[in-house]
Amino acid sequence: MVILQQVINGISIGAVYALIAVGYSLVYSILKFSNFAHGGVMMLGSYFGFLALTILHVPFWLAFPLAIVGAGLLAVANERIAYRPIRIRNSPLLYLMISSLGVSIFLENFTIVTIGPNFRTFPPVLPTTPIMLGTISIGRLDLIILAITAVSLALLTWIIYGSKIGNAIRATSYSMRAASLMGINPDWIVALVFFLAGASAGIGGVLFGIKYTVWPQMGNLTIKAFIAAVVGGLGSLPGAVLGAVILGITETFAAAFVSSAFRDLFSYALMIIIILVRPGGLLGKITEEKA
Amino acid sequence: MRFYGKERRRTKIYIQETIFEEEKNVNPAKLLRFLLVLMILVGQAACASPATPTQAPEAPAAATESPSEPIKIGWFGALSGDQAVWGTAERNGFQLMFEKINAAGGILGRQVEFINYDDKGDQLEAVNVVKRLIKEDKVVAVLGSNSSGRNIAVAPIGEEAHVPIIATYATNPKVTQPTPDTLNQYTFRVCFTDPYQGAVMANFAFNDLKATKAAVLYEISSDYSVGVSDYFKQEWAKLGGELVAAEAFKTGDVEFRAQLTKIKDANPDVIIMPFLYKEVALATKQARDLGITATFIGGDGWPSSELLTMAGEAVEGSYLVDHTDVNMEQVKDWRAEYKARYGMDFEVNAIMAHDAVLVLKAAIEKAGSTDPEKIKIALETMGAVEGYTGSIKIDPKTHNPIGKSAAIIAITDGKFSLFKVVAPMQ
Repeated sequence: MVILQQVINGISIGAVYALIAVGYSLVYSILKFSNFAHGGVMMLGSYFGFLALTILHVPFWLAFPLAIVGAGLLAVANERIAYRPIRIRNSPLLYLMISSLGVSIFLENFTIVTIGPNFRTFPPVLPTTPIMLGTISIGRLDLIILAITAVSLALLTWIIYGSKIGNAIRATSYSMRAASLMGINPDWIVALVFFLAGASAGIGGVLFGIKYTVWPQMGNLTIKAFIAAVVGGLGSLPGAVLGAVILGITETFAAAFVSSAFRDLFSYALMIIIILVRPGGLLGKITEEKA
Repeated sequence: MRFYGKERRRTKIYIQETIFEEEKNVNPAKLLRFLLVLMILVGQAACASPATPTQAPEAPAAATESPSEPIKIGWFGALSGDQAVWGTAERNGFQLMFEKINAAGGILGRQVEFINYDDKGDQLEAVNVVKRLIKEDKVVAVLGSNSSGRNIAVAPIGEEAHVPIIATYATNPKVTQPTPDTLNQYTFRVCFTDPYQGAVMANFAFNDLKATKAAVLYEISSDYSVGVSDYFKQEWAKLGGELVAAEAFKTGDVEFRAQLTKIKDANPDVIIMPFLYKEVALATKQARDLGITATFIGGDGWPSSELLTMAGEAVEGSYLVDHTDVNMEQVKDWRAEYKARYGMDFEVNAIMAHDAVLVLKAAIEKAGSTDPEKIKIALETMGAVEGYTGSIKIDPKTHNPIGKSAAIIAITDGKFSLFKVVAPMQ
């Protein structure tokens, strides 16, 4: 019984990691760098949802899309301001990563100064009471999160693998230069990818905020999503989802059956082992160095 | 070169302008200020010259002492980050207290200048700002903070510079005594300590709640949390209670279900949660979601009006050990003044700030001087000071206040209310 409960706990954490990990992988697949500002976008996405609900007093069905679009546009602006100038100059990829770290610190401090350092709690918009099956508890919220995650990931998969725009995105991710010779405007594709990544971060941020709480440092948690993306294979969408679920269950089991104090040790050890044994990640094909 | 030339011309013009300005406004006030600065410089030189080179660097505060200059008192604490709620309440409490003291004529007839810095709840940052307070601002004493970890980190700075640091809310024994046999000569505190807090929790759970099986959930990366849970476990074993589970998490975690599922399986009567309100809100909510019905017992990291909004129903029926009752009758006026001045919720930290100021003021007055060394001796030798949290007499052997009581606070109907006051233990 305990094991079953722990598996449920693990999957419920994995679902949130998955949404954020997908954003990392999307950006990585195009620009080949780890966008550490992704956590900041997720955090602000969560704040957008929170502020729409508490200040604009709009209903949740409107606040949620507002937060998603807001986070998407924020990610696009982020790319326009902090990455595009570096990209155009053909500077080393390391510069993009450094720039993303800077943006992440900027977003966190900007939020502290403008919105405030306190923890905020979402108004009760989704049911949080659990369903009890004997001694096993399944959170209603977790089920909703799982459903929303599944739908968003399916939609994202369709956009990338099933639509014409997705063709362009995949072409650009193979070779930006060749794609641009075929009449694809890489700047547009990059902006679109950032929008999709930001929107998925917005979904993750709002769900995360409802499940836990909203605060300026919540972006730091995306380091876990980063591990998930690396485990699954940076640049691979199904890999990011797989990595997230594996990470969620590993963490939960480490805490439950070894020691809760060692939990993070297991997460990072998992990442290092994957990098050593299968540098491309479980489902990744790329074998260049991960930054 | 071309650039250099331009720059130079600009400087020249600037200099000419300033000279012109100077000539135009030779007024008596400016002249007086100039003379004053000259006098201070000459005075300093006179003081400094006979000193032997061996005793040179420290204690410049005493040398420049003059009745017209304000007494500089420093503070460090969290104005941003996780602990900003408490840090802000504490800073506000100090500020209001010093404003009142200044309006009433100051300390030793001198006004107080309150210099406060944000340490962001970070140990490294705390070390930086305390260094700045002592070395650059040359404060006579440092107040703060609300965290054991940060006070442990900054204690060596006070030791080195011989400037007293008075902790308001840092309860770990290592703050004043790095080991049981050593003492930080310049660190003091006005709050009770963790061994006492842990013992109060154990006794309350065992005697008042008649619990026999306890579980502990603690934050492994916090000196405070590990300390309290260890002292709880010691006292709990002494009382004959059974410890059925002890689970840890890391600072910044938001997911506790793995640990809580284990705790649920052990079926405890009470769960001890000695950590800060954000994690408390999440952990208690998740515990109730998992169907855990045990009573939660917390420590002085709980009291915050934010806990009630964040955790809501989940903390209903819980108990916590605190320094004092935030709603007690004696602090009514202080609370009203605080609310009128800042328009925000009153936290226990403002009460601790009040008491810390009374202790420091009494020490400066007893010393009759603002020499940090003399303040330190006065803190060790002076009599009890009556504060809101009881009478505070610093034990010269431990630098902890002697005989402080604790309050058990119950959370009922979404409010903190006093359950009982626990007498000091020996």
